[in-house]
Parts: sequence; structure tokens; C-alpha cells
Amino acid sequence: MKIPDQVPRLAVVFVVAVLALVAARSILVPATFGKYGHYRAAAVDSIAARQVRFAGRQECEDCHDDIGAVRAGGNHRTLSCEVCHGPAETHVEAPFDVLPEPPDQQRRLCPLCHQYNPSRPTGFPQIDPVVHNPLKPCISCHNPHAPVPPSVPGECSACHGSIARQKSLSHHANLPCVTCHSVPQQHKLTPRTVRATKPTERLFCAQCHATRTPKLEGAPQIDLQAHYPRDLCWQCHYPHYPET
Amino acid sequence: MQGYIYPNEFELQWGLLIVLYPYVTGLVAGAFILASLERVFNVKEVQPTYRLALLTALAFLLVAPLPLLGHLGHPERSYEIFLTPNRQSAMAMFGFVYAWYLAVVLLLEVWFEWRRDMVLWAQQSTGVRHWVYTALTLGATDLSERSLRFDDKAGRWITIIGIPSAFLLHGYVGFIFGSVKANPWWSSVLMPVVFLFSAIVSGIALVLILYIITSLIRSRPVDMPCVDKLATFLFYAMIVDVSLEALDFIHRLYESEESIEILAQMVESRLFISLIVLQLVLGTLVPLVLLGFFSPALRTSGRSRGADELRRLVYLVVAILVEIGIFSIRWNVVVGGQLFSKSLRGLTVYKVELLGQEGLAITLALLALPLFILWGLVKLIPPWSEARPSDAAAH
Repeated sequence: MKIPDQVPRLAVVFVVAVLALVAARSILVPATFGKYGHYRAAAVDSIAARQVRFAGRQECEDCHDDIGAVRAGGNHRTLSCEVCHGPAETHVEAPFDVLPEPPDQQRRLCPLCHQYNPSRPTGFPQIDPVVHNPLKPCISCHNPHAPVPPSVPGECSACHGSIARQKSLSHHANLPCVTCHSVPQQHKLTPRTVRATKPTERLFCAQCHATRTPKLEGAPQIDLQAHYPRDLCWQCHYPHYPET
Repeated sequence: MQGYIYPNEFELQWGLLIVLYPYVTGLVAGAFILASLERVFNVKEVQPTYRLALLTALAFLLVAPLPLLGHLGHPERSYEIFLTPNRQSAMAMFGFVYAWYLAVVLLLEVWFEWRRDMVLWAQQSTGVRHWVYTALTLGATDLSERSLRFDDKAGRWITIIGIPSAFLLHGYVGFIFGSVKANPWWSSVLMPVVFLFSAIVSGIALVLILYIITSLIRSRPVDMPCVDKLATFLFYAMIVDVSLEALDFIHRLYESEESIEILAQMVESRLFISLIVLQLVLGTLVPLVLLGFFSPALRTSGRSRGADELRRLVYLVVAILVEIGIFSIRWNVVVGGQLFSKSLRGLTVYKVELLGQEGLAITLALLALPLFILWGLVKLIPPWSEARPSDAAAH
């Protein structure tokens, strides 16, 4: 049986396409691709061969031990010097010829971490750079080596903005934070070391929400014995937005 | 933002372009399956739309990967997915499904379908057109009866291979979402099937719109038995699609997993317009009622109701509503799956940007692009029966 004219012609096109793919693979796929995994093995060597630009914190503190000591006791203790001062390997090699970049005077650097962003953890100091002392360089009020708020915030919302905004929309809007949390003075200075307290038992919520108490206007009442007696209230109800 | 969300859930990673991507691939798969109705299942009434459906599928398929490239950035690296594919990745393997569908199914079927015409056009034209058509025929100029019979047979077999390929093409898109097991809005084995049937619905509706509008532009009468048949198939496909979605919905309600409350909140608030109003009421119920009344789908006599002009208008409106509804389905799946927190305690918001890499402007441009490509294809290889060269002219 004679093969129709179309078949060999299409076959040529497909063979050319497949050959082009094979040729492209042999030319474009790097020689060491796949040796260790799904990447170019030679990339490891070429990255290792790059010039070192960062010296590391230890190198800085070998000379600037006074600043290192201040930083080690402050809220920036986990940061490396070069996060703000820039790569300093050349400075370490020639300390008097090459100086590291001067610290940020323009409010550009600090907002990278401290501009308000709802996805940052609660309690992390955050500001809106547009309204927070505009035009003033951050370091004119805050010591970047051991930053603390220049005056201790009077309101919890200064740090816990996300919770404050949420609570303001809830039935608990009129309750001050200290109704449920007791806040040691030290918490305002070292917020991560000394924590505010939280309620630990059902009886705390029961002060307002149990049927045995005198009826409180507007507060839902439950029978403490019958209403999920083995669970804690906040396993189901989010106290800052109890509707949910 | 409302309630509690995890820090990494504040911003949506998959935006409007990722909504567009399953929508466009769905149109491709749907248009191709419609074309197969005539070719494989011998539904003769829809013959006037067969070639248009093929070109539509081809035009939209060429655009289908662009939303992904726009979303990922660095389109200059995209060829690497073919050179060094990661065989563990469904997304990487999809590159080959796409290439198979484009090169082996659609281009081949179009070539076999138009070969006779291209040979005749090459013979009847001069200059650049002559060389273009001659190149497109690959030099296969044999127009003997045996050769044409082979074209027909080959086209039929390719369509038969093409149907599972179209299912694979769009089933994959549903598979990608359905296999995200950490996301209760997506994780469902029904997802590929639901995607597939909504694809068929959107493809039929698109070809219906294009056929009616191109007939108007060309001042040709609309073939009413054809659009009646299209409307009937649209009705049937929608019934299956709605049933599957209802099954998925009821299954979720019956399972009533811990996520059901936040999902209900999301549907009632964030997705109210796109799911209840656009997808359910305007995109599903209204078209079903209109099609049920006007199309011959529910009539035992097989005849339709209403004057031809009225029916054409109703079908056009229905098809546009269906397209809006199917786009809303894609939106509800892609965006909805990212609006609620995995803590199941909060909802975030998604605002579409106007400009920018994944903005509304790019999306509209990518939606318009296949129509321009289709216009070019129609100019090059017209799908209309009156444009086919007669055999007499060849001799």
C-alpha cells in the first residue's frame, strides 16, 4: 500500500522539531546539570569563587567592642552590623583607607523593618513614616545600636495596633486592655522579656458571661457547667473579636 | 482584613492573571470538544461552526501560557521547562501536555482540515500569498480522492485523540487546585471534573457568540438549526456542570469539616457578588431558564420557541452571561482559596490593581489578544464555507 504524500512530509517536520529539541538540549543544558540534583553542579563552585563582601559581626566587634557591648544589650542584639552599615570586608582589610557607609540619615532604611504592615508580629514596633515625625531622621530620636521608644507608650495600641483595631469593632470595644491583662511596668521597657498576663481559666470570663452572676446588660450568658465544661473559652471564642 | 490571619496570608500570591489562565485554557478545551461534536459524534447541525471552533481553540491556546509567563516574570527563561523538566512537578509536566495539544492535536487537525483549501488557494494566488500557502501545505499538493479521504480520516483520528487530550489539558488545571490538600476550598477530587465541564460550557458559549457576531459582521444569515443545536448542547452541558458543582457543594456541607464556618462567612461576604450574584444567578440560573424556555432542549417536538431574531438575541445574551459566570467561577476558585486564613479565623481582601504586571489592563489585553490572533487566522485560512475554493477552479 502506498503511503499518502502527507505522511512523509509531516514526518520530516516532526523529526526536524525533535532534532531541534535534542540539539537545543545538548547546547543549552549546562554540562554539570543534574550531577547532584535538579540544578547546575558548577554553580556551587562559581558561587564559592565570588569575592567575600561581608566581614561578619565578630570582625566588627573585634575593634568596635564598645558599640558591640551596647548593641548586645539592646533590642537590635540579633542584627548584624552590616545590615545597616553595608558590606564591610574591604574596611576590615584596610580599616583606614576604606570606611563603611554612613548610617541612614534619610528614613529609608529603618522603615524597611518598622513601617506598619499587618503581617508583622504583634508587639513589633511599627510606625507610619508619613505621620510619625516626618522629615526627622530616625536616629535623631532613637539610638540604632540599642533602640527603645523615646518615651514608653501610654497606650497598648502603640505596639498592639492590629489587636486594638480589631477590638475596637467588637463587643469588647469598651473594655480597657487591663480588664483582662495585667501589665507590669517592665513590659513597656523590655516587652519580650517581661510579658503581660493573660487569663488562664474559665472563671475569668464567667465574671461577665456566666448565668449565675447578676445579669449584665448586653453580655451573652452561658451555663458554665453545661457549656463545653472541658474546654477553655478562648479555644472557641477569640477574645479580641468574640463574635467569631 | 477581618479576624485573625497568619502573616503570610495578608497578600494574595495568585491574582487576576491566574484567574485568567484556567479561564482561557477552559475556552480552548471547550471549543475543541465542540468541534469534536461534528467530527466524531456526527452532529451535522453544528457543522457551520466546526472550523470556527477549531481556529478559536488554536487562537486561545496560543495565548493560554501568557498569563503564567506574565505572573512568573522572566518569560525568557520559560523554555527551560522543556529542556530540564522536573518530572516530579505537575506544572512542569503540563508544558508537555500543552506542546502535545498544540503541535500534535490542534495544528495537525487544522492542517489536515485546510490542506485541500490551501493547495487550491496556492494555485489560485500569486506573489507572497502563493508562497505562504505553498509553504503551509508543506508541498503536499496531491488532491486525489484517495489523498483527500486520508485527510478526512486522519482529522477524525486526531480528534479522537484530541478529546482525551483536551480533557487532560483542562483537567490538569483543576488537578493543580484540587491537589492542594492544605486548602479546604480547593482540595477536592471533583475539582478537575468540575473544571472540565465548566470548560465545555464556556467553549460552547464562546463559539456561539463568535458565530453570531461574525455572521452579523459578514452580513450572512445565521444558521438557526445550528445555533439551536448549540444552545441545546449548552443547556445540557450546563445541567451536568451545575449538578457537579451542586454535588461538590452538598458534599462539603455534609462533610462539614472544621473549615465550613469560615468558608460560609467568605461566601456570604467576600464572594457574595462573584459567587451568588454573578456565578449562580446571572451565570447559571438565568441562562438555564432562558435556554430551557427558548431552545429546543426541553421540547419533545424538537422545535424551538419564539421568532428567529428573538432567539438569536436570547442566545447571544445567554452566552455572554455564561462567559461572565464561568469567569466568576475561576475567580471564586483562585481568589476565594486565598481569601480565608488557614487558621480558619479570618478573611483578607484582594484588590485588583489597574496597571502593573498582574493588573486589570494586562488581563484585558490578554483577553483581547486571542481575538486578534483569531482575526489573523480567519484572514489567512477563512473558516467560512463560502470562502472554500471550488474544485473547478483548480483545473
